[in-house]
Amino acid sequence: MTPVTGIDFERITLRDALDLAVLIEEEARDRYREFADQLTTHATPEVADFFSRMARIEERHRAELLERRRTLFGDSPSTVDRRNIFDVEAPGYEEARAFMGVRQALETVLASEVKAHAFFNEALPRVKDLELKALFEELRDEEVDHQELVKAELARCPEKPDDSEAYADDPVAQ
Amino acid sequence: MKDLLTPNDYKSPLKPIWCPGCGDYGVLQALYRALSAVGRPPHEIAFISGIGCSSRIPGYATAYGFNTVHGRALPIAQGVKLANPDLLVIVAGGDGDGFSIGGGHVPHAIRRNVDLTYLVMDNQVYGLTKGQLSPTSPRGLKTVTSPMGSLEQPINPLLTVLAYGAGFVAQATPADMPGMTALVEEAIRYPGFSYVNIQSPCITFGEEEQQLKAHKGRMKPLASLGHDPSDQLAALDLARAYGTELYTGVFYRDPSPPPTYDALVRQRQAELQRGERRPRSRVLDDFLKP
Repeated sequence: MTPVTGIDFERITLRDALDLAVLIEEEARDRYREFADQLTTHATPEVADFFSRMARIEERHRAELLERRRTLFGDSPSTVDRRNIFDVEAPGYEEARAFMGVRQALETVLASEVKAHAFFNEALPRVKDLELKALFEELRDEEVDHQELVKAELARCPEKPDDSEAYADDPVAQ
Repeated sequence: MKDLLTPNDYKSPLKPIWCPGCGDYGVLQALYRALSAVGRPPHEIAFISGIGCSSRIPGYATAYGFNTVHGRALPIAQGVKLANPDLLVIVAGGDGDGFSIGGGHVPHAIRRNVDLTYLVMDNQVYGLTKGQLSPTSPRGLKTVTSPMGSLEQPINPLLTVLAYGAGFVAQATPADMPGMTALVEEAIRYPGFSYVNIQSPCITFGEEEQQLKAHKGRMKPLASLGHDPSDQLAALDLARAYGTELYTGVFYRDPSPPPTYDALVRQRQAELQRGERRPRSRVLDDFLKP
């Protein structure tokens, strides 16, 4: 099960690779926004705020990459779109929980950064072009930086037991 | 209208209220993507549903939508398709809506072969009403309505629809998003009644071993078993493993799809307009001529 479909990494152009990177950030931004909405609806405001912050961070990364793409290639059309990518850096929908704690949320984000790193690492041997290789290495290494930031936040976050089940209703005869 | 429709073009402003972690979020995302791949604009699509968590889908899509009454999505969807055959009609619902309350409609929708795509989000419980037994609950399942364990044999939805002669039958899980998206797209493109059983677990009332994380380790793509989707008998045999094995992919695709009911109705209407057939009223007039 590959998170990217329909893209040949041996033939991908620098422009399309940048577009792919933009879309990966966009997908992560949208997922964090969805998580923030879900947890707002399900009375978990602290974690909803955290996911909103994550969405803003992913949007900043997306905007930076998009700027770079526009500087190099203007508005020339792309051959990659959102249908090509599946949860590269975005956490899977199964990761969200009502009443989850900030620590759990941080662990979810860390797992997603690890996943994104693995994606670039696995794609790299297939990339032949040197300029492209440099871009993929840069993107992969950024994921390591992000992991370090999340780990530092995790270290500051108090250990709290997972109480996401504490609010579940006990079985009651209907 | 833009040349290329993106998945977000099918998203509605209404935000889903499913429990965080619910499988239906993935199903909705797969639908948006499949629709953008098919490329039909929102005004050419209609979502019809019954009642239940998964039946909320029409509200979350930018398209025509009708959140109908419990178990009646299929008859209403058939009416919609016959009234406007140019619409792409997608029916969404749960296992209870489809195989219990609406169970009597499934065989007739299949035998008529109206060109619909029926997506059943099979979570093996009635999640919206707090986790009672549903028609696909496994025997022994403890729920609020079966505190000592279910005594009932579950319905096998895959065997059921295959036995009634559905031309396209597949199974998916949100644990495999690329696979599920491709299957939903293929089902939409199939010319006739298509059925996708989506193992979409209930995060709140479902069993631990039924959750998406467990699916990732359990699922077996039918393609990896060398299954030939045109082999109906092999499909029936594989479908028997419902509840024990989590096979994903196309069980059966009719290699020569028969004409759809909606196409036959159009044909009949054209014959009537050309005068090749006479409506009953005129036959009666002839009979009563002096």
